[in-house]
Amino acid sequence: MSRFVLVTTMALGLALSAAGSAQAADTKQLFEFYCAQCHGVKGDGKGINVGKDFATDPRNFTDSVEMAKRTDDDIKTVIKDGGPAISKSPLMPPWGATLSAAQVDELLAYIRKFAKK
Amino acid sequence: MRLLAVTVSLGAALLVMTTAPSYAAGGDAIFKKSCSNCHYTDGPAKEKTIADQLAKKGPELWYAGSKFKKDWLTAWLQAPKPIRPMKYNSITDKNPGDHPKMSAGDAAAVTDFLMGLKSAEVKAGVIKAEVSVRGRKIFTKDMPCGGCHEYSTKDGLLGGKSGPSLAGSSKRLNPDWIYAYLANIKVFKPVRDMPDFGSVLGPKDIENVAAFVATFE
Ligand code: HEC
Ligand code: HEC
Repeated sequence: MSRFVLVTTMALGLALSAAGSAQAADTKQLFEFYCAQCHGVKGDGKGINVGKDFATDPRNFTDSVEMAKRTDDDIKTVIKDGGPAISKSPLMPPWGATLSAAQVDELLAYIRKFAKK
Repeated sequence: MRLLAVTVSLGAALLVMTTAPSYAAGGDAIFKKSCSNCHYTDGPAKEKTIADQLAKKGPELWYAGSKFKKDWLTAWLQAPKPIRPMKYNSITDKNPGDHPKMSAGDAAAVTDFLMGLKSAEVKAGVIKAEVSVRGRKIFTKDMPCGGCHEYSTKDGLLGGKSGPSLAGSSKRLNPDWIYAYLANIKVFKPVRDMPDFGSVLGPKDIENVAAFVATFE
């Protein structure tokens, strides 16, 4: 009986961690597909779009001092409604009609990690 | 006997080759043979996930007849020049500019085939290319369009690189399609790294910005 429980628990644990890493892979893909074109794959604000006439530098997510000034709500709002929604540049597009609320939450967590590394 | 069989089949192959020269084939047959590896032409849109979009080797062409201007298409198929600054589906590698080239005859036949692929979403004859103060302001100031798209100005090319270049839109794109694309992008591209502006801009502003994009030289 206890052996059975142990095996089941282990299997469940494995399944859960697999689901967790699948989700992490999905979030990485989300970030790289939608955000990295401006914020860069490394989150340093140096995406391919940032050329000499790009008027405002995209936020560098690795800058922990700047990032600490933003609340989670600020970040979710700017992803959904664009820069002007938090009095920032209109070069940050509104993704609210493209991303689900759950995807915005995942991206928030992903973005926050850049400053912790 | 074996020799006879080989000779006969060789002869038959030669016969097929000489009786079916490529210029006589319909554009759809040429397309199927040389192009369908990288482009699909049967709509509606098939992509459901980011992985679906990333697996594609070239843009979907099922609404090509509503999107492109015919003369541009025939000319481009014979002498393709990069449209996207970056390689398809990449934000790190430059466009290698290695698109297959077609002969004039094949390009004309394939153009006829592609121009027949229309989307009911596109209303014909509504949008005319026009520089308006409002259209310019939306494109260059209020909205992030120039952040992702190259465009032409009297001072040369400006703008970002992740989207297709909009320089040359006046020759390449049907203004009515630009409007439909901005107003209802999910029909054409359910999965794309461009935001949906349908709910951000009103119909009048979409008209203004579509008309403005349609003027780029
Ligand atoms: C190896 C894959 C590949 C093959 C084969 C191929 N294409 Fe393409 N095609 C592409 C890519 C990638 C692009 C984007 C090029 C660019 O942006 O410069 C493209 C762009 C196009 C475009 C412009 C579409 C747009 O939305 O900008 C047309 C039209 C087109 N191809 C037609 C054809 C035809 C006709 C053939 C057959 C001769 C063909 N292609 C064969 C990969 C391919
Ligand atoms: C975050 C980047 C981004 C922003 C902002 C953006 N676009 Fe795009 N746009 C793209 C990408 C990427 C594509 C190509 C999508 C695809 O075909 O997969 C595209 C496609 C287009 C096309 C079709 C071009 C073609 O040849 O297929 C037009 C027209 C266009 N955008 C206009 C605009 C306008 C107008 C705005 C501002 C209101 C805008 N875009 C804002 C990234 C962007």
